[in-house]
Amino acid sequence: MSRASNRFDTKKVNSELVTLTYGALVAQMVKDAENTDDVSKQLERLGYNMGVRLIEDFLAKTGTGRCMDLKDTADKIQSAFKMYLGVQPNVANWSPGGDEFSFILDTNPLTDLVELPDDLKNLKYCNIICGVIRGALEMVQLDVQSWIVQDQLKGDQNTEIRVKFIRRLEDAMPAGED
Amino acid sequence: MSLPGRNRTSILDKPLSRGKGEISLSCFALLFSEVVQYCQNKSRTVTDIQNRLHKLGARVGVKLIDLYFVRERGGKREIKLLNILLFIKSTMWKALFGKEADKLEHSNDDENTYYLMEKEPVVNRYISVPRDKTSLNCAVFVAGMIEAVLVGTGFPAKVTAHWHKGTTYMLKFDDEVLLREKQME
Amino acid sequence: MSKMIGSYYFVIVGHRDTPLFEMEFTNSKDSKKEDHRHLNQFIAHSALDLIDEHKWKTYNMNLKSVDKFNQWFVSAFVTASLIRFVIVHDNRNDDGIKNFFSEMYEAYIKYSMNPFYEEDSPIKSLAFEKKAQLYGKKFLTS
Repeated sequence: MSRASNRFDTKKVNSELVTLTYGALVAQMVKDAENTDDVSKQLERLGYNMGVRLIEDFLAKTGTGRCMDLKDTADKIQSAFKMYLGVQPNVANWSPGGDEFSFILDTNPLTDLVELPDDLKNLKYCNIICGVIRGALEMVQLDVQSWIVQDQLKGDQNTEIRVKFIRRLEDAMPAGED
Repeated sequence: MSLPGRNRTSILDKPLSRGKGEISLSCFALLFSEVVQYCQNKSRTVTDIQNRLHKLGARVGVKLIDLYFVRERGGKREIKLLNILLFIKSTMWKALFGKEADKLEHSNDDENTYYLMEKEPVVNRYISVPRDKTSLNCAVFVAGMIEAVLVGTGFPAKVTAHWHKGTTYMLKFDDEVLLREKQME
Repeated sequence: MSKMIGSYYFVIVGHRDTPLFEMEFTNSKDSKKEDHRHLNQFIAHSALDLIDEHKWKTYNMNLKSVDKFNQWFVSAFVTASLIRFVIVHDNRNDDGIKNFFSEMYEAYIKYSMNPFYEEDSPIKSLAFEKKAQLYGKKFLTS
């Protein structure tokens, strides 16, 4: 709560507000949509839109420069988790080729007190996070895929989010200035 | 009905949230702007958008009641109109937004109506309303939350959000509330 | 106090006076009270008006014993969101009932905060039933 010496907007809201707002949105989308897979896709898309805008905020607040390599990228996303969601995942399960890795979350405020009903067992409730990662990285010229490997809402021990590097986007306009 | 798929702990085995968790405002703001976008995509008119936002806010509000009364009020219910208004203005606002709402006023012309004012609602901070929809105040989401809390605790009212001194929420209580209040005295 | 049969009927009643969850507890082995459910439901239902009147006279959620019908007592607990927990019972056990209500309230809050649970809809959950059984055994029929 110190307001001195910090020129960036570091304001917080109660995590319950976010958890419940997200929950209300997902529940509404489930009602509006034809099937569960559509909702999962929409959530990813919604996250993508957020990621595209969130990256500017992240770069401005941290003063981060260009990522050296994918390991560096992973570390930065890890700190972004901490900054925005208040939880720090582990970076793990690197592929031998070094082009794929996972974030492992043991707690996740988005799923506090969430339980999927039987008819929504296929719903990828946290797909929004995959979308955020994809959207944010696209703005720094990294084309990635991201998906959920393990899911606490499906009874898994942790939630594991996989990120796979596809290619560098050379032609796109840079998101921020050099 | 529900059979456990795997051997997992249920949400009932987790502790009740203590309300200490925090998430960055930018994160909430971006989420909320997607909420607005979603409502907009599903709507034809500004009224539709507002109704959708109001309904979503109500879904959030209804889930806060028991949690907040247990945690912030030591399990005491509320039975007085003025107290429930103060509960919303201070207890609920502080828990959600980290500060009290700016002002609470009783209408001069209508006994049933109260105004809750806020210069800069958190939900409006990063929202730029499209030019063709300037009447839209996205704080109607918060109005939905307030209404759900009032109705849920036994003080039925209609709550709307207006552009006035920042944002003003208008709380119009049903006659039964004032009637009951008078009988209590 | 003379040892009575010790049977309890617990019901959670929604805003539209419909039961959302019901469970019976007893510590007697014989099963001759099978057909008490309808009577219990009737007694609980008949007490709702009294409970609704009473709830505006106190800030407390636990209204304790609100009604008596022949040998049955009716105890009630009203949540902040005005969901009513009612127990019809045949012997006095104020402390046990108080603890039971309080534990079930916590379970109800967690259950109802799930975004996929709609207020006033029936509670269909094995985990919730297990909680009720656990606390029933601990506080009511022990």
